[in-house]
Amino acid sequence: MAAAEARTGPIDFELWVTEKADALLRFAYVLTGDSALAEDAVQDALTTACARWSRVSSADDPEAYVKRMVVNAHISWWRRFRRREAPAADPVRTAPPAPDGTAARAEADAVWALCATLPDKQRAAVVLRFYEELSYAEIGALLHCAEATARSHVHRALAALKTTLSKEGAEDA
Amino acid sequence: MPEHEPEQELGPKIADAFQHHADTATGLQARGMAAEARRRVRKRRQALTIAAAAAVVAVAIGGVWNAVGEPSQVASSSGDSKAASGAGSGGFKAEEPTTAEGACPADHPILKAGGHVAVPAGTGLDLQTPVSGLRACRYRLTPGATMLLGQERFNADVAQQVVDAIKVLPQRNPDLPVFRCTPKTAQPSEAIVLRFDTAAGVREIWVEYDGCDSAGFFTGTHTYGLYAAPLKFFMTGTVRPTGGTYLDALQGW
Repeated sequence: MAAAEARTGPIDFELWVTEKADALLRFAYVLTGDSALAEDAVQDALTTACARWSRVSSADDPEAYVKRMVVNAHISWWRRFRRREAPAADPVRTAPPAPDGTAARAEADAVWALCATLPDKQRAAVVLRFYEELSYAEIGALLHCAEATARSHVHRALAALKTTLSKEGAEDA
Repeated sequence: MPEHEPEQELGPKIADAFQHHADTATGLQARGMAAEARRRVRKRRQALTIAAAAAVVAVAIGGVWNAVGEPSQVASSSGDSKAASGAGSGGFKAEEPTTAEGACPADHPILKAGGHVAVPAGTGLDLQTPVSGLRACRYRLTPGATMLLGQERFNADVAQQVVDAIKVLPQRNPDLPVFRCTPKTAQPSEAIVLRFDTAAGVREIWVEYDGCDSAGFFTGTHTYGLYAAPLKFFMTGTVRPTGGTYLDALQGW
């Protein structure tokens, strides 16, 4: 971002992508939970950004602009393809408890696996809240919903995760 | 319990999980994305250019086809409620297929009837019947040179207005002149056939306004005098005559 802020002329698209592609891909991976989907989402977003690069590069924060495109691309996939999938009623823990005592890593894996079972919009809201550290107003703007709705997505996801983790914890004990 | 407690409790765990998996994600291929983006943009623009060029070529071919195509003797245009005020769309177009539903037949019985009051049985319109559309067909009746001169299409509103304006008319307009005719001069040079769409199919009213034998609206069972009120609804565009023996004596058509 510093490079972007310090620029005096238009940013070169290739150079910008070289700098930001890794971060964009990581964000997309967290958002989609799938490497192939992440690459497709970023590629679609970059294609859109390339077509209107003068506008994107002159934005206050081009990276945020392109991340918004990644989210839109992902939401677009939901509309086109994932609508056909039956949503999971409740999160299901798919990662087994760690047998070797590496509790922190096991917990991270478990949370990741549980997040993968969340409904798409809830997962997106959780990612934007805890990975991107956005406010609820910003999340609402990105997901095309009201701030209260964004807050509701996150809280429902947290409640579901907490319930499942508590249940699994009791069973493990 | 405070509302934000689950967020405080689970938030850091979720953030750690996301960060951990983002950092350890494997197989993400960042190389070549900019080049691929540029290639896709170029491809999209090429596709758009090709589509635009194809559209231009198609329009050009259509224009040339119309320009060099065989000129039609038949003028045709569509009218709507605006036509009722005399604003016909005008302009010559390609001849409509005579077999199409509602199109004016090139070989109409009125051409053989010679303009006499001879609406074939069963084809005349009962003016109490609701109508859903109208096509007015103007024919030249000159022996040896009969032809369809023009046609106009009107919507249900205009069609019903024409019917309503005719059915209140008397059998004869006493203000029209009366002529002593020879059989030759009695023959009208042209006439209009009003073809109404009804639930039972197309039903007609013949309109005669030229010659010196008879003038008016003919349904086969009833005759209504020639007045300007119905005429001004459909005498528009290519169906508007330049004049006629009886029309010349009428005002406001």
